[in-house]
Amino acid sequence: MPLPGTDPGTPFLLRSVYLKSLRDVRHGLVGWSIGIALLVITESLIWPSFRDMPDIEKLFSQYPDYMQRLFDVSAMTSGIGFINSELFTLMLPVLFLVHAIGRGARLVAGEEEDGTLDVLLVTPLSTTRILLEKAAALVTGVFALGLVLYVVTMTCSLSIGMGIGPLDALSGCLSMVLLGSEFGLIALAAGAATGRKSLAVAVPAALAVAAYVLYVAGLLVTSVDPWQHLSPMEQALASGPLGGGLPLDFLWLALGCAVVTVATLPMLDRRDIAAPG
Amino acid sequence: MEAAVRTSGLRKEFRGTVALQGLDLVVPPGSVFGYLGPNGAGKTTTIRLLTGLLRPTSGTAEVLGLDVASRPDEVQRRVGYLPGRFVGYPDLTGGEYLRYLAALRGGVEWSEVDRLADRFELDLARRLGTLSHGNQQKVGLVQAFMHRPDLLVLDEPTTGLDPIMQAEFLSLVGEASRSGATVFLSSHILSEVEAVADTVAILREGELVRTATIPELRAQVVRRWDVTFVHEVPADVLRAIPQVAEVRVRDRTAHLVLAGSAEELLRTVAPYGVENVETHETDLTEVFLRYYTHEEEPWRVA
Repeated sequence: MPLPGTDPGTPFLLRSVYLKSLRDVRHGLVGWSIGIALLVITESLIWPSFRDMPDIEKLFSQYPDYMQRLFDVSAMTSGIGFINSELFTLMLPVLFLVHAIGRGARLVAGEEEDGTLDVLLVTPLSTTRILLEKAAALVTGVFALGLVLYVVTMTCSLSIGMGIGPLDALSGCLSMVLLGSEFGLIALAAGAATGRKSLAVAVPAALAVAAYVLYVAGLLVTSVDPWQHLSPMEQALASGPLGGGLPLDFLWLALGCAVVTVATLPMLDRRDIAAPG
Repeated sequence: MEAAVRTSGLRKEFRGTVALQGLDLVVPPGSVFGYLGPNGAGKTTTIRLLTGLLRPTSGTAEVLGLDVASRPDEVQRRVGYLPGRFVGYPDLTGGEYLRYLAALRGGVEWSEVDRLADRFELDLARRLGTLSHGNQQKVGLVQAFMHRPDLLVLDEPTTGLDPIMQAEFLSLVGEASRSGATVFLSSHILSEVEAVADTVAILREGELVRTATIPELRAQVVRRWDVTFVHEVPADVLRAIPQVAEVRVRDRTAHLVLAGSAEELLRTVAPYGVENVETHETDLTEVFLRYYTHEEEPWRVA
């Protein structure tokens, strides 16, 4: 979203708030990408030896019912099931959440605490526009991480023969992107509402834990079951998420992202901006 | 012509603490307006209200004829702002930082940035994080001036600048003013703004205590004179002079407190044979310091 009339001498990544916000995360994204790639590669390399263990199915059939559903253990004898339970049902969601919440908190609350927000706000850009560009940059960053995850997962599957198809991987990666984006946007919202980075981290982190508890409780307790569908964790993870197709639940996650963003846009106009120092 | 800044009943409270109580301020267009007061008097609060970073508890602020609360973006387009504690992005060079802000603002001529950087002897190739406080402050000043705004709002602009750069800054303010811009600058030191300000406003504990031009203030400075006469002190004659506020006599010397011009005093005492005159000038800074310390208005000496 470069602005018209920008001096040609301006570096590309400094031509808008959106591009600058991406610039700020570029090193971080490289690090996160390497980390996630190493994780997926390691787990994929474990898979063949795991598959060849004798009596593995008998072992899993002894697991309690909710464990079987939570970690999808019954499917662990397939490549999809193994990667799902080892990575996509807990480890990767946590990593995507940590990345997105950290970014979301830094985008406004971080700038406000550092003192750089003052000059940025006293420009012709409206606060709505600034928040929208920052939200877009946040989602772009999470999406980039999802793309890396997709490429690595497909590469591992094809080279090791885990049988994860392109659509299977798509549903898994998309659920990570949507889940991360929703909680990252909540962090952005909490930061825009309060100007405090600690709260911008604490609020979405607490909500994520609550969502996970609701999801797990729904698996354990029948009376909670109808409510667990409200949990973004359930919406993202219950279908697989690898190989779950594209469930309608993903629309709820997308809607959640949209609602949080719309609610965030007017927030900086509604409060005082703290003076730095 | 409309005022560059006009506030009426502008009030700001933070969680029940009053930071600014009903400020009525008019800054004429094209003027250099010094906004003075000790730390905590409400200067920064006023500036943040004018730039749209704070919302008033009550009252209104108009900048260049625009209501700040309802049209902040239009105000922010036409204002150059230096925060009281300027902070840029430490990982960007000065040049990159200014390119970024210029891209967001639009319509900045880069030659103007180069010109300003040259005047402040600022190296735009260095990262902000590696610059001294004074050099960072220069980057802050360049971003405030670079789009040739109609109104400059500068919060303690000379903080961290060495005397040579302070002089450079003051000449830049003078140039901006001559080309039609209005400059609103805060300071807690009068001598910093005395040379460039047309008008000063003095703020104390969230209240405007006085607005005056520099010559008006000078005229009201209280001075202490010791006049030694050849013979006896003509005390009654001295007391009859309107500008003489106080007379104390010791031997052949009269200790006088003088408010305003000394012309009539000199004319009156000349025939009585004056042996010596010793003056203890009070400079303007001292006058302001008295405002800060709750004393009576300095020119009303009992």
